[in-house]
Amino acid sequence: MEPQLSWYLALSAILFTIGVTGVIIKRNVIAMFMCIELMLNAVNLTFVAFASFFQDVTGQLFVFIVMTVAAAEAAVGLGIIIAIFRNRESLDVDDASILKL
Amino acid sequence: MLALLFILFAALAIGCALAVVAQRNPLYSAISLIGVFISLACLYVMLAAPFIAAVQVIVYAGAIMVLVVFVIMLLNVEEEEHRRTRLKFLVPVAVALSAVLIAEVAFILVSVQEFRVSPTAGGSNVGVTSSIGSALFTRYLLPFEITSILLLMAIVGAMTLARRGGLLSPNARVIPGAQLFARSMVDPMAAPDDLRAVEADSTQEAADLLGMNRRDRNESA
Repeated sequence: MEPQLSWYLALSAILFTIGVTGVIIKRNVIAMFMCIELMLNAVNLTFVAFASFFQDVTGQLFVFIVMTVAAAEAAVGLGIIIAIFRNRESLDVDDASILKL
Repeated sequence: MLALLFILFAALAIGCALAVVAQRNPLYSAISLIGVFISLACLYVMLAAPFIAAVQVIVYAGAIMVLVVFVIMLLNVEEEEHRRTRLKFLVPVAVALSAVLIAEVAFILVSVQEFRVSPTAGGSNVGVTSSIGSALFTRYLLPFEITSILLLMAIVGAMTLARRGGLLSPNARVIPGAQLFARSMVDPMAAPDDLRAVEADSTQEAADLLGMNRRDRNESA
């Protein structure tokens, strides 16, 4: 039996939910960032699955753009994390809960 | 056979994803996330998307995760300590709500009509690099160009965030024209293989060291 489209969609939903759980649970800001990347990858899997089952290349192009945006977001997000760490000396999200330094 | 491969890669992806969330050391989370990326790349190959699989490994596992590991090493992140008891009750609530979400999505997927088209049947041409390239540069040219501007914005933003102080602060260690010479180049009486460093702090000083400014010295004399 070949893997059906719904199998891929279910796997993507499970990965996305695990990513959401990680963003909520984790206190380290870099670990939260990694769970966001996990969510992005789950959505990428949905796009590629639809692209292959509908024989349309648009899904894969969107995945390409999403990967580019994720790389740009990684660079800027980690720069922000480093800047926050310089000021607060702590990577705990609960310590950065107010905007005042 | 394909179903067995799918179950293998899916189990690997879910296991590594659970490890990302459950591990307390962020470095172990990063390694598990690389495992997720590689198993997803295998799934992309099964879905007849070889270009996306290669880009996934190169960009995600090879660039983004390396950057994250560098930042973890740079900031010397330790393990998460024992959780404060104030919000501890929310963790099982989060797990329960995510289980509810999975159940809802599973219900939707079970009631969706199945498609007959298989990704690798009949020489499908969708994921081949040439078809992605021809679509990217004809029909989707505008998103491509906008993405390049987005990358430029990311570069400028990352440089601005990583800079200490304002524009060219006195503590900035980057001085235009600062260079390093070997002593044998600068001192005519040093041995030819004397490679001890002589530091010049500006182009003017470097020119003085190399003896190239006789014209200026004569003018000011």
